[in-house]
Amino acid sequence: MRALVAASALLLLLCTQLRAASETCEVPNSITENYSRLPHVAQAVKHDNKLSVLVLSGVPSQTGTASSLKNYPAYLAQSLHERLKDVGVDVYAHAEPRKSITDILAVLPKLLDERKPNLVIWQTGTVEAMRGMDPDLYGDKLVAGVDIILKANADVILVNQQYSPRTDFMFDGGPYTDNMRWVSQTKDIPLFNRYEVMKYWADNGNFDFTALRNDGSFERLHRCLGGLLSDLIIRAASLPGGLDR
Amino acid sequence: MQPAAPPGRDLRLDFFRGLSLWFIFLDHVPSNLVAWLTVRNFGFSDASEIFVFISGYTATFVYGRVMRERGFIIGAARILKRAWQIYVAYVFLLVFYLAEIAYASRGFENPIYTEEFGIFEFFQKPDIVLIEALKLRFLPANVDVLPLYIVLMTLFPAALWFLLRWPNITLGASVVFYAAAHHFDWNLALYPYDHTWFFNPFAWQLLFVIGGWCALGGVKKIDAILRSRVVTALCIVFLIVAALYQLSWLSHGVTRRLPAWAMILPLDKSGLSLFRLCHFLALAILVIRFVPFDAPFLRSKWMRPLVLCGQNSLEIFCLGVFLSFSAHFILTEISTRIPMQFAVSFTGISIMVGVATIMTWYKDNERRGGKPPPASEQSLGGQTA
Repeated sequence: MRALVAASALLLLLCTQLRAASETCEVPNSITENYSRLPHVAQAVKHDNKLSVLVLSGVPSQTGTASSLKNYPAYLAQSLHERLKDVGVDVYAHAEPRKSITDILAVLPKLLDERKPNLVIWQTGTVEAMRGMDPDLYGDKLVAGVDIILKANADVILVNQQYSPRTDFMFDGGPYTDNMRWVSQTKDIPLFNRYEVMKYWADNGNFDFTALRNDGSFERLHRCLGGLLSDLIIRAASLPGGLDR
Repeated sequence: MQPAAPPGRDLRLDFFRGLSLWFIFLDHVPSNLVAWLTVRNFGFSDASEIFVFISGYTATFVYGRVMRERGFIIGAARILKRAWQIYVAYVFLLVFYLAEIAYASRGFENPIYTEEFGIFEFFQKPDIVLIEALKLRFLPANVDVLPLYIVLMTLFPAALWFLLRWPNITLGASVVFYAAAHHFDWNLALYPYDHTWFFNPFAWQLLFVIGGWCALGGVKKIDAILRSRVVTALCIVFLIVAALYQLSWLSHGVTRRLPAWAMILPLDKSGLSLFRLCHFLALAILVIRFVPFDAPFLRSKWMRPLVLCGQNSLEIFCLGVFLSFSAHFILTEISTRIPMQFAVSFTGISIMVGVATIMTWYKDNERRGGKPPPASEQSLGGQTA
């Protein structure tokens, strides 16, 4: 009887632990590990008391000032505001809907000149994977783009394609992420592996990305992504502010 | 223990082609944990190299004999008939692919999928997409190796004619062609973005021709060299280094310690990078060295599922692609979690084995014209290209 009670208690504890795990944004360090620094971010925060972030993507709904958005740039801005209280944080998202990296390279200098960011979060690879661009060519163009950003005195964080279980049979993003990985290493810039992060959450039941309609997980997902990106920035630039979660 | 095939048949080809078909299926199920077991995670090359090499080998073995015995015209006609069969198989899979896309579009009401919505921009012109797909200018992701196979088989009559007369010169020409394709960036264009084929036929033809060269006795001529201790040791070292490289890719902490010149990953699969080619050849040399033609395990009942799949390669390849679409459907509709990934993987392979068994039984029956099999023979079908 005692054994049964103990077993039941253990099972209950396990269930609550599992439930607790499923409500957090946590991922193992192996997925978010990063060894690259963000010197321009550190410089801007410590010396100028400001931080300007540009989120560049191909998502039509992800454009404008962070406060007008519902996706991760908004939550990233919110988290950075809370953690860097006396710093003037400005997060702006710019989208080039359905444009491939070739088109983005053409508009990048002008965009950097207009926004003058200290950090560019470059979400890339999805359009190129969907269109079947040669992954090696993609890697070469990504290097060119990163060079343009670094020359404009800004840091870069690369963000790869999302985990998208309903569409991932149509294209394989793996070779593009591998090329981003190579660029991140040769240029010593962080890569935020959004695909692995979301896959981890899906495998462990934190999220169900197959739902046909939004069941609230869209906001929760982007809040988690914004928090993890904020963690990455704080750590890589050695800023005070602690962890978000 | 029953023999899985008549004596004389090289079951190594069936065995490894079967294995590559299982791997291709597992790799095609999106985001599948079981795919971690496949060869691509432990070295530079993957199942595609095995499949293309063995296809070149068996095509030469089967049609080379026909061309020698019955002349160029008959041989070429047989090869083109096979190319046509592969084309029909490709169109068959295309239909399933389009159906799956139409179904997947339902999920686009969820804002999470805003990012992928662009996939449908070219489907707004289905008439053009279909025509381009039939012209092999629009290729679904998972069936890429079939269009490559179609192009290689269509051009194969001429290549085989040369191979049968001057095997070494033909192999040399194939190497030159491969190098030129790399140097001049030759590839076939795709609709609608002017991108190129994932499996560049100008590069991958080399592996097909190497397979053909081996089938015509090329390996026997250099057998002593291949079996030498130095070559064996070099191959083993190369495979170990490749495995370490591939596994190191899992961790930034490890790869960041590599000097810039040693950062060779990721390798170019489209153009069949030299590292991938060498890795496959090292694997093949070790197989020739350590797995004899008549290795008993190849005829054991435990290996029979693989051999059966390898003996019905085109059908099982197509079935594998179809099953990967079905697996994707089940994963998205029921659960994408890890237990379901295992379930669809093992169910898929069981179905592949079951269908291969029926195909072999059917072919065997057809060949005998409905007569009962002779007591001494438990044959499992003829060699297919």
